Amino acid sequence: MDRRHFVAGSAAAAAALAVHPSFAQDAYPAHAITLINPFPPGGAADVVGRPFAAALEPIVKQSVVVDTKAGAAGAVGAQVAASAKPDGYTLLVHITSISGFAEVDKLFDRTPKFTRADFIPIARFVADPCVLLVNEKQPYKTLAELTADAKKRPDEILFSSSGLYGALHIPMALYMKAAGGLKFRHLPTNGGGPALTAFLGNNAQVLVSSISASLAQIKAGKARPLAQFGGERSKALPDVPTMKELGFNLEYYLWVGLFAPKGTPASVVTYLRTATDKAAHSDLFKTAIANLGQELGYQDQAEFAKFWDADAARIESAVKEIGRVQG
Amino acid sequence: MESTLFSLAHGFAIAFQPDNLWYAFLGCLVGTLVGVLPGIGPLSGISILLPVTFGLDATQAVIMLAGIYYGSQYGGSTTSILMRIPGEASSVMTCIDGNAMAKKGRAGAALCIAAVGSWVAGTFGVIALTVVAPPLATIALKFGPPEYTALLILGLIFLAYMSSSSLVRTLLMACIGLMLGMIGIDNMTGHFRYSFNLTELGDGIGIVPVAVGLFGLGEILATPSHKVIGEVIAPKFRELWPSRKEWNQSFWPIGRGTLLGFIIGIIPGSAHIISSFLSYALERRVSKNPEEFGHGAVAGVAGPESANNSASTGAFVPMLALGIPTGPIPAVLMGALMVHGVSPGPQLVTDHPDVFWGFVASMYVGNLMLLALNLPLVGLFVTVLRIPYAYLYPLIIMFCIIGVYEVNHSIVDVWIMLIMGVLGYALRKFSFDPAPLVLGLVIAPIFEQSLRQSLIMSNGNYLIFFSRPISAGLLIVCIVLLAMSAMTFILKRKDWRDKLAEAEAGEAQQ
Repeated sequence: MDRRHFVAGSAAAAAALAVHPSFAQDAYPAHAITLINPFPPGGAADVVGRPFAAALEPIVKQSVVVDTKAGAAGAVGAQVAASAKPDGYTLLVHITSISGFAEVDKLFDRTPKFTRADFIPIARFVADPCVLLVNEKQPYKTLAELTADAKKRPDEILFSSSGLYGALHIPMALYMKAAGGLKFRHLPTNGGGPALTAFLGNNAQVLVSSISASLAQIKAGKARPLAQFGGERSKALPDVPTMKELGFNLEYYLWVGLFAPKGTPASVVTYLRTATDKAAHSDLFKTAIANLGQELGYQDQAEFAKFWDADAARIESAVKEIGRVQG
Repeated sequence: MESTLFSLAHGFAIAFQPDNLWYAFLGCLVGTLVGVLPGIGPLSGISILLPVTFGLDATQAVIMLAGIYYGSQYGGSTTSILMRIPGEASSVMTCIDGNAMAKKGRAGAALCIAAVGSWVAGTFGVIALTVVAPPLATIALKFGPPEYTALLILGLIFLAYMSSSSLVRTLLMACIGLMLGMIGIDNMTGHFRYSFNLTELGDGIGIVPVAVGLFGLGEILATPSHKVIGEVIAPKFRELWPSRKEWNQSFWPIGRGTLLGFIIGIIPGSAHIISSFLSYALERRVSKNPEEFGHGAVAGVAGPESANNSASTGAFVPMLALGIPTGPIPAVLMGALMVHGVSPGPQLVTDHPDVFWGFVASMYVGNLMLLALNLPLVGLFVTVLRIPYAYLYPLIIMFCIIGVYEVNHSIVDVWIMLIMGVLGYALRKFSFDPAPLVLGLVIAPIFEQSLRQSLIMSNGNYLIFFSRPISAGLLIVCIVLLAMSAMTFILKRKDWRDKLAEAEAGEAQQ
């Protein structure tokens, strides 16, 4: 896998270099920039992408249009962006799940419509750590209790998720693997909201969710947090131990990042990095993010690319671990 | 209760601020327009206008966006009645009798009854939301996958039992709908089914292109071949007011539709669409003259129009009280609230009383505005009929195409709509009713998913549907309905459907 990454990474780099920066640099941006949002309005990419577009406009002095291309859990939008003209006028806002599509396609012997190599990472805006929750009606007070019971009763405790191989299925798969091949029964739904509904109705007993999406339920006592997947304790939930503290070497975030199609001229990418940095640190954007109950988790290209590689490696291993589901 | 009234008074104080009144009005106006335009449903309307609300505060934003939502339920009836084109999916049932009324020269009355019914239902919905939101929301949570499965089985049986055309034709259409609904990714295993390597089909076939194609385009394609439509029914203004008889006929349907719609509305799902189907079926069932349905029965307009409105209000209950979106539209509204720093959930009422009560109070005001807006505008909409078809129809086709494209920005959707248009034309020629097809399509993904989720929960044991009280109760109703229709069959009694079938056969021969 490392080799694959290396090849992918160098392909992207080579493609970026191959286009000579003679592309009229001072002219960019000469007209409106389109920001593709691959999720339905109100989704994770949308709520971050829209204030970003608003914050970017005064900096690039062009209008920035959010274009919703929802479908196939974000694959449609990503595919549109991957095949767009790489001139810097079409950018993509995408989330954690962008890394998994190609791996799932491979699992089903389908030719991936796009891979990670089709995108140049520009910046990461937020990274919301996930939290493992149990329903209030369940007896588990610590992760150890849950792990022990799941060992005793394999395939009997249910967890809900946003969908098979989805952003909320992956962290659960990582935990099951790290805890020595635990078996929970999977109740896939079709989104973060329905997954939460199934969990709150106690139709599923366990759910991994992002902190911002579940904080209201945690505060209301409907969901009990046992562990969170961040690198360090979260400000919103200071009493919840991290997976690392509990002895599992796991990290998992629902992050939102900005991408350009492979082949976007290096000069344009440089320009976008500067502009994005400014926009992301503007008061307008910071307020919008704070309103979502999140914190700015900004990473510039170099840092983000590294983070993305590590994150994608985790996701790909989780997808392989889940494998093809019989049904 | 006292504190509720106090809070509500506080809410009205917020809703009557000039700014908030203006945004409620704007939302209602846009909503009506969005409802009138075929294809552009409330979902695209709200999504398109979402960025506009960034400059507003949370209360103003949600007041305006919610106005679009319930406003569209009013507006959707207009094109249904005047042109037999559902302005949006939940107005499908209104097409049938609303348009038949229009052909009889009662277009004005139908529009007026639809508006009044919507107003009654909307206002009742808000009152119910104010008073009973918290306990009802708990019930909605009890609806897990097995309860859904049972509810949908009941829905399908209701459909077959109540449908106007013969049982075979109805079931045939519903099955085609269910099969179309199977297209797309299998949520449980990740396999693509019948997607022909088109990414767009991976998500399945959308309701909007199918509904617009079957009902909108199909109708337009069929019209030139009808010689009968030489004369356009352009009702005069004094015909706007329904007769006393029509009022009497619509009184109880409005009441029943309102109640039914609200109950269905708080259950997560495509509530407002299903509610209008069920209300129509119920009205036909309880009617003394069921053969009038399909030929301009007043109850067939009053019931469904009330039901879809109170369902759209009911859908706010789980969203506001629990932070659970019950459908795509509440989900977008929730997204809008979150952008403004308000997260809906059990804490909403205590953390953001201004938003919650201001929003609730604005819906009382908004529903009044809509009534005031719709009754005079009915005359304006009626003039649409005076436009010669040679100009109007190409325009409508254009609207259909733009509207369908606008939903997902997908050209594949446009093709689906065009194909469905041809299918709709063919179905019309062979006198099949396309409504069960659309319902089957809506139900299929939810039905399949909840059935399979239930079986995952029970580890493959079908008894799960009978061991949970709510789903067992619903299934017992199913069995009773089936037994009743079997009785009719065995005893060879002629029921209303046979009479209707004879009437239809007679009509077809003409």
